[in-house]
Amino acid sequence: MSRPDWFVLALTLLVMIAYGLYKGRASKDLEGYFLSNRTVPWYMVLLGIMGTQASAVTFLSAPGQAYTDGMRFVQYYFGLPLAMVVLCISFVPVFHRLKVFTAYEYLEQRFDGKTRTLTSFLFLVQRGLSTGISISAPSIILSSLLGWNIVWTNIFMGGLLIIYTVTGGAKAVAYTQQLQMIIIFSGMTIAGYIVVHRLPAGVGMSEILHIGGKEGKLNIITTGFEGKGKGFDWNDRYNLLSGIIGGFFLALSYFGTDQSQVGRYLTARSLTESRLGLLMNGLVKVPMQFLILLVGVMVFAFYKYNPEPLFFNKSQITVLEHSKYKDSLAIVTAQYDALEKQRLAGGATGADRAVYKATIRRWLDDVGGDSNDTNYIFLRFVTDYLPKGLVGLLIAVIFLAAWGSISATLNSLSSCTIIDFHKRFSRGVSENREYQLSRLYTFFWGAFCVAVAQLAYNLGNSLIEAVNVLGSLFYGVILGIFLVAFYRKRTGGHAVFVSALIIEIGVVVLGILIQKKIVLLSFLWLNVIGAAGVVLLSEILNPILCRRVPSSPPRRG
Amino acid sequence: MDEDRVPLFRKWSYWYALVIGFLVVCIVFFNLLTKHFS
Repeated sequence: MSRPDWFVLALTLLVMIAYGLYKGRASKDLEGYFLSNRTVPWYMVLLGIMGTQASAVTFLSAPGQAYTDGMRFVQYYFGLPLAMVVLCISFVPVFHRLKVFTAYEYLEQRFDGKTRTLTSFLFLVQRGLSTGISISAPSIILSSLLGWNIVWTNIFMGGLLIIYTVTGGAKAVAYTQQLQMIIIFSGMTIAGYIVVHRLPAGVGMSEILHIGGKEGKLNIITTGFEGKGKGFDWNDRYNLLSGIIGGFFLALSYFGTDQSQVGRYLTARSLTESRLGLLMNGLVKVPMQFLILLVGVMVFAFYKYNPEPLFFNKSQITVLEHSKYKDSLAIVTAQYDALEKQRLAGGATGADRAVYKATIRRWLDDVGGDSNDTNYIFLRFVTDYLPKGLVGLLIAVIFLAAWGSISATLNSLSSCTIIDFHKRFSRGVSENREYQLSRLYTFFWGAFCVAVAQLAYNLGNSLIEAVNVLGSLFYGVILGIFLVAFYRKRTGGHAVFVSALIIEIGVVVLGILIQKKIVLLSFLWLNVIGAAGVVLLSEILNPILCRRVPSSPPRRG
Repeated sequence: MDEDRVPLFRKWSYWYALVIGFLVVCIVFFNLLTKHFS
């Protein structure tokens, strides 16, 4: 990176920390620290929800995904708008009425203490580990492409934000997320503009779409019935059916029962403003994801007029240069470069490029390297073609996207630890002490996530892939518990607790079978199976295990 | 105590109609885009 890039990157990150410290001066009690005294307007709730969901990998991987697999990933969000309406009708008013800090507090009032403890524990495990990965994944990409030290990249990616998150709590998170989203969208818009600007004269958006369409990158709608006439492909991750049904359950679970999201809309100054934030999220998410993916198609079209690297991840080429394939690599690289020159001069179709790329991937698999190049495409384009200064801004975008998501998660992990565990099991703690402990827990979870990120790097890709599916292993069961709580008023805590344990074990076993490719099923369906499993099994077990029929939850406040 | 009212509309059914309509428009638009440029 050039000096102006470093300057822009450092300045953006420092401004963000200073802004978080300045805006995060909250009142020194739990209500102020975790809920920003419930004073946040709906548009900040909206930006907070979006900033929490969109991690660094969203902006790194999504364009790369469109480049390789096309835009069908957008279907993953088709269930989200409907889930927002269901949440606003059923979940949100209950959380507001009971004035809870965490979603799991409600479960004790509805069922019993052990169901609350189990659900909060599942959240802490799943979120603590997956946040570590969400630090590690972009750090690995940046350190591979830019040659940065991985330990320092992890610390900057997951550690600097701890400063304002510990100090300012939910208020600092909300205000920084607002600024982060503005910078992120500006950066992505500039990147998109530069792609079009650098294309040859007379080539515009229409030509980009034609190129993308001809090469199958505009496969936005797929039905899952496309392959080989064998009926619906249950292993296909992104299609209309899995997007609407699986995506609906995933969104319902994520926004309704994941404290990192519940904590965002509980900061709203009224029930209506919470609802507006969520409903607007339902309307903007699909177009937003469409535009991010479109950047990937634009980069794809860009490389039709410019030489495309043999492999986007430079560090893996270095790996091959130090392997037994060293000599073969030199020959293949020379042949590929000649082919690219010929293609750009109009003398070749470029169809043979795939053969060369497949050879590189095969060699990398053989030497234990990382053959998945998707996550490196967009950032390689940024570093190779964006002007000085803008490279720094786009790398700042990656950091800010990570910070927005991680800071909200640390705040939620801390709130669950203090509200669902510490406060319940150690009585007589003063308000000031609770506040101090909350800051301490935020710091602890920040350090924990950075440590997990480092561990993930040391253990390699297999762990990252395994932990990436962690959400699907837990979300369905947690959603099932909440669905029973809201819609099956006669079901008792005992039945739902036992059902959740049994189904959780079943889902984990199924997840392992899918991972080992013994069962061919997309992970998205685990959310449906987990939720439906808990609802059905608790219905069956309730007459056997039910000791008492709970009354409707008591009103507080 | 917060007032439990529907934002922007009188009934929740209007919100259901809006998001389902929005989704249908998105799917039709995306499908046309897929077909037109393929």
